[in-house]
Amino acid sequence: MFEGTLVDLVPFEDDYATYLESWMNEEAWFRAHLWDRREPHPEDAVKKYIEKMEKNERAALIGYQTKAGDPIGGLIYDHEWSRVRKVEVTFFTGDSRYEGTDEVLDGLLMLARYCFETRNMHRLDAMSLAFDEARIDALRRAGFVHEGTLRQHIRWDGDYVDVELYGLLEDEWPGYAARIEALGLQASDLEPKPKPEKKLEDEKALDEKILAP
Amino acid sequence: MAAALAEGLLVDLVPYGRRFLDLEHRWLNDEGVFWWAVGGRWFATKAGLERERLEDDHQRHTQFGLQTKDGTPIGLVGINWMPPEHRAAMLTAFIGDPAYWGGGYGTDGLLLLLQYTFDWLDARRVWLMTMSLNERVVRQMEKVGFRLEARQRRATWAANGWHDMLTYALERDEWPGRAVLIERLGLQA
Repeated sequence: MFEGTLVDLVPFEDDYATYLESWMNEEAWFRAHLWDRREPHPEDAVKKYIEKMEKNERAALIGYQTKAGDPIGGLIYDHEWSRVRKVEVTFFTGDSRYEGTDEVLDGLLMLARYCFETRNMHRLDAMSLAFDEARIDALRRAGFVHEGTLRQHIRWDGDYVDVELYGLLEDEWPGYAARIEALGLQASDLEPKPKPEKKLEDEKALDEKILAP
Repeated sequence: MAAALAEGLLVDLVPYGRRFLDLEHRWLNDEGVFWWAVGGRWFATKAGLERERLEDDHQRHTQFGLQTKDGTPIGLVGINWMPPEHRAAMLTAFIGDPAYWGGGYGTDGLLLLLQYTFDWLDARRVWLMTMSLNERVVRQMEKVGFRLEARQRRATWAANGWHDMLTYALERDEWPGRAVLIERLGLQA
């Protein structure tokens, strides 16, 4: 576990894998993955995605949760380019109650901390749909700098929309502690949601046996 | 030799076949790759290139061989990626032989590619990325009418230093057509 101020970073497993079966079909996921074709993701596709990220040394899918252990969503480190020490970062707020809260901002700061302070990255790339104000606000507060606008770049709900590009350089990152002190984060104190219903492992095995040809 | 798919003034677009693939090994180990790979250089083996070729599903990109009017292969132009729902095509171009840099060959090939992308594929916009160090491409973009949309600071490492990555784009309504641009640029056979 990587401990932050309002959130902790944890491996993306257990309840997260269960939550992702719905999260990966919801608005927050598609906004975070602006290239996504908005195709439905059945359970198998979700499982494959988690496995793909686990096996990829140039990527990481990380869960982030409140101090009380309430899962908020995912932080994604992807397409690490080792020659340039550069990586693409994004995040999604699976539990929409946390949209725009300081918990999400702390998740992003913890991701930046991981990239710079552990993975030794030189630069972080981030993108946002122009209308995704909560994402843009979090990027700006985290210190990302706007670097351009791709005009009408993405088809979205019957229209073409701009994509905003952001970047954060290692010499612009003052360190996690300094950034936190400057921001004065406030916890939203939301009630933790009930744990997802989970099949017992032996029930799963029985299902597989019944379904096997 | 395959017939030209599109005929320009200085170059033609042809299938990117064996004649080009045989030269690729030399091109990818030569200076030209530095500009195309925004500062990267490789030690590409023939076996490695062949393996990559077999593993490539060719679903995501389109490649044209670029050859002079006398049939000399000099490089490629193509589309790296064009998701149909967005209709925005990411372009690529590579002149492998330095003898053909700066003589209008690349620009002639780019105009043929733009015509193909807008007129045949119905793209709404085209875009590409280069590094700020690549003054030749920056000049070409400005001449052809691309707009600079993003400057990602210190986003690549080349020639022992950090350089910005530039994203240029051209929308369909900013494309005056190949004939107009040939005249405006003074391209001649």
